[in-house]
Amino acid sequence: MVLHTLRLATVPLTFTTSRLFLKPSPTLSFFSRHVQPRKPSFLLRAFSNSSAVQDTPLTQTSSDSSAARPPQWKAAIDFKWIRDNKEAVEINIENRNSNADLEAVLELYENMVTLQKEVEGIREERNNVAKKMKGKLEPSERERLVEEGKNLKESLVTLEENLVKLQDELQHVARSIPNMTHPDVPVGGEDSSAIRKEVGSPREFSFPIKDHLQLGKDLDLIDFDSAAEVSGSKFFYLKNEAVLLEMALLNWTLSEVMKKGFTPLTTPEIVRSSIVEKCGFQPRGDNTQVYSIDGTDQCLIGTAEIPVGGIHMDSILLESSLPLKYIAFSHCFRTEAGAAGAATKGLYRVHQFSKAEMFVLCRPEDSESFHNELIQIEEDLFTSLGLHFKTLDMATADLGAPAYRKFDVEAWMPGLGRFGEISSASNCTDYQSRRLGIRFRPSEPLQTGPKKGKANLPPTKFVHTLNATACAVPRMMVCLLENYQQEDGSVVIPEPLRPFMGGIEAIKPKLR
Amino acid sequence: MVTLQKEVEGIREERNNVAKKMKGKLEPSERERLVEEGKNLKESLVTLEEDLMKLQDELQHVARSIPNMTHPDVPVGGEDSSAIRNEVGSPREFSFPIKDHLQLGKDLDLMDFDSAAEVSGSKFFYLKNEAVLLEMALLNWTLSEVMKKGFTPLTTPEIVRSSIVEKCGFQPRGDNTQVYSIDGTDQCLIGTAEIPVGGIHMDSILLESALPLKYIAFSHCFRTEAGAAGAAAKGLYRVHQFSKAEMFVLCRPEDSESFHNELIQIEEDLFTSLGLHFKTLDMATADLGAPAYRKFDIEAWMPGLGRFGEISSASNCTDYQSRRLGIRFRPSEPLQTGSKKGKANLPSTKFVHTLNATACAVPRMMVCLLENYQQEDGSVVVPETLRPFMGGIEVIKPKLR
Repeated sequence: MVLHTLRLATVPLTFTTSRLFLKPSPTLSFFSRHVQPRKPSFLLRAFSNSSAVQDTPLTQTSSDSSAARPPQWKAAIDFKWIRDNKEAVEINIENRNSNADLEAVLELYENMVTLQKEVEGIREERNNVAKKMKGKLEPSERERLVEEGKNLKESLVTLEENLVKLQDELQHVARSIPNMTHPDVPVGGEDSSAIRKEVGSPREFSFPIKDHLQLGKDLDLIDFDSAAEVSGSKFFYLKNEAVLLEMALLNWTLSEVMKKGFTPLTTPEIVRSSIVEKCGFQPRGDNTQVYSIDGTDQCLIGTAEIPVGGIHMDSILLESSLPLKYIAFSHCFRTEAGAAGAATKGLYRVHQFSKAEMFVLCRPEDSESFHNELIQIEEDLFTSLGLHFKTLDMATADLGAPAYRKFDVEAWMPGLGRFGEISSASNCTDYQSRRLGIRFRPSEPLQTGPKKGKANLPPTKFVHTLNATACAVPRMMVCLLENYQQEDGSVVIPEPLRPFMGGIEAIKPKLR
Repeated sequence: MVTLQKEVEGIREERNNVAKKMKGKLEPSERERLVEEGKNLKESLVTLEEDLMKLQDELQHVARSIPNMTHPDVPVGGEDSSAIRNEVGSPREFSFPIKDHLQLGKDLDLMDFDSAAEVSGSKFFYLKNEAVLLEMALLNWTLSEVMKKGFTPLTTPEIVRSSIVEKCGFQPRGDNTQVYSIDGTDQCLIGTAEIPVGGIHMDSILLESALPLKYIAFSHCFRTEAGAAGAAAKGLYRVHQFSKAEMFVLCRPEDSESFHNELIQIEEDLFTSLGLHFKTLDMATADLGAPAYRKFDIEAWMPGLGRFGEISSASNCTDYQSRRLGIRFRPSEPLQTGSKKGKANLPSTKFVHTLNATACAVPRMMVCLLENYQQEDGSVVVPETLRPFMGGIEVIKPKLR
């Protein structure tokens, strides 16, 4: 295969004299083929866990809202393991400030196991009765057995109903048990998060600086006012060079991440609410982040993690097809219910935005190294753009329920005068795959042996899943506009983006 | 309503007269009489004013469904009466059995409808691999070409208040509505960027010197496609969500016809550059939407589907939308040395004319490109104009598995 680096989208502009067209330079285009099993399933977790850029705490999967009715789907939770490691699980629940009720889970589990044995016992008795009735019997004996059979059947029906109810209740309560935690993760709240890395330093300005909203107005790049009339607050139009900048960011990100072997995707932005639930969101709870569509069971996605996770749900992948690495582009929609205060200004917190999301499915032994790979990709991207940022190893109380470990990148936003989250990279181990039903069959070890039958196939295991923000456009725009502003009111374009914007080097104030 | 209005005005005048009389010096009995008369008038007035408002509301309600007038050259009749304005190219001759875009999409691993059916439902899809690059190339190239013609690029909200949808001439909440509504709000998803762009200047008075305003707007579009059944629902041809670049113009009334020609010319140039075979139709009266004074549709040849399929539409809505959105302009004052200028001397405002035209509807373009450019070996050639926007890729090839 010939290597093509993708350099995309040079767009000539009427207000520059330079012609921008990327001359095609042959390097490698990656379109790695994977065997794709068909059914989508993905376990998406609360937004802050994923690449969603968001400060509000993760909503954990709670059992309350659906306690009244049986669950639509079952998470393949390893109860035995939980029971055998209950101290560690309890400590983990505390460290994460989770409201999961371990005692209830263990009790329900024991009851269920007991009831299950009882049910099995009765089934066996019934089978014995049925066997006996096949032989030659006295009429009175036969009558007695028929009677016994009836009684057993009635008990069985009742017990089986109870068993199903127990199993459903167990599901409800157990789903909120958060993932275990990587031993290196700091224990505590927001202030306990550890700085893994810091790149660059805050730029020194020799003139009074503007925030991105002011720059957006002065350079005619962003319109919030018309959008407030047309749609409501936290909506916006991008204009002029800002449109080119969004396209340049997405094109460049695609180009860079594809070089690392990720398969590009675009996704549906309307999904069934059951998928959203499997992802750990509460489509219909109070303060839900999720927009629902009237008259259907569908919702708008808040991140491409949702539809991408769904691609392989209820599937068994071949080990040889792992890892599966996607870079997915979508618009994202969030109600931002409950997000109030200063962290809502301008582009920092909006209802609709474009995002490029990385998603990996891999073998369990590889997830830690993929987590490192993902954060490395993010750091490389942001370093190339010249941003000053720090990478945080998020403390236990700030992890979403699915995340075994989570690295957030916060970039310096001089106009806002603080660091703001621009990306998040989570290793969800098997938390999501147990809910989405994504397994793989390990390859068979080389051995000459007796004939292979199904009995000889190695048993399936759950994959590990990871997700990471490659580019959340509005937050990146805040960073670029605020950091690259000049005294004359213009904004310089970072070099890597220029070929993707038709060579534009600066966004200048326009003559009016 | 006009009659009732006169009546209301009559009574107001009487009431004013009574009030005036009461200012003078009066006998107590006279005053009492006038006070009584004032009260009666007031009561009548309240009732009449309520009735007037109800009448006005009902009038609005019923009158809104009166469609725009029609350009005199538009053919009268149904689908079959539409006239062909222009035809470009001819159907490509294939020397091998051809595939439709769905088959090509499967064979080249470019789209996934099956997973999307599980995740979202029918008529949803994922694009993969080169198809993602192709979508981005189409949008980037379209932006580039249309900007050269002086259009301002925009991205828009895709959630809007339902009132805006109505003002543009769509029905958010009817049966078989094309519009998705958001639960628990008065908001909807847009089916086209025409809607949020139309809303930018609503309830405004523009300067004549600001016209024309020419936008090229990019958005995702969402359509329920309720009521659309049958063969024209296959694959990418009819989907619930897609990317589109839309041109929108606000101009003076005298200019809308020439802008309509400019817009259709831009579309024809774009599709010609891509090497498509297409015809431009002047849509007949029964096929115009209520807002359109005149509408040109372009249908391109889709060999895999074996027929022409609509890839774009360009409408001149004259003042239909602007009367609903409240978009006016104030003509520039004629040059004159004159007496002091006061508000009374300003020329009165007029309604702008609005036009909209599809620059690129990605899925339909993809159908055309995949089906027309397929090769015998199963690959698809990328039109030259798009190659620089796709990193130089010349062909989408079958991949080794």
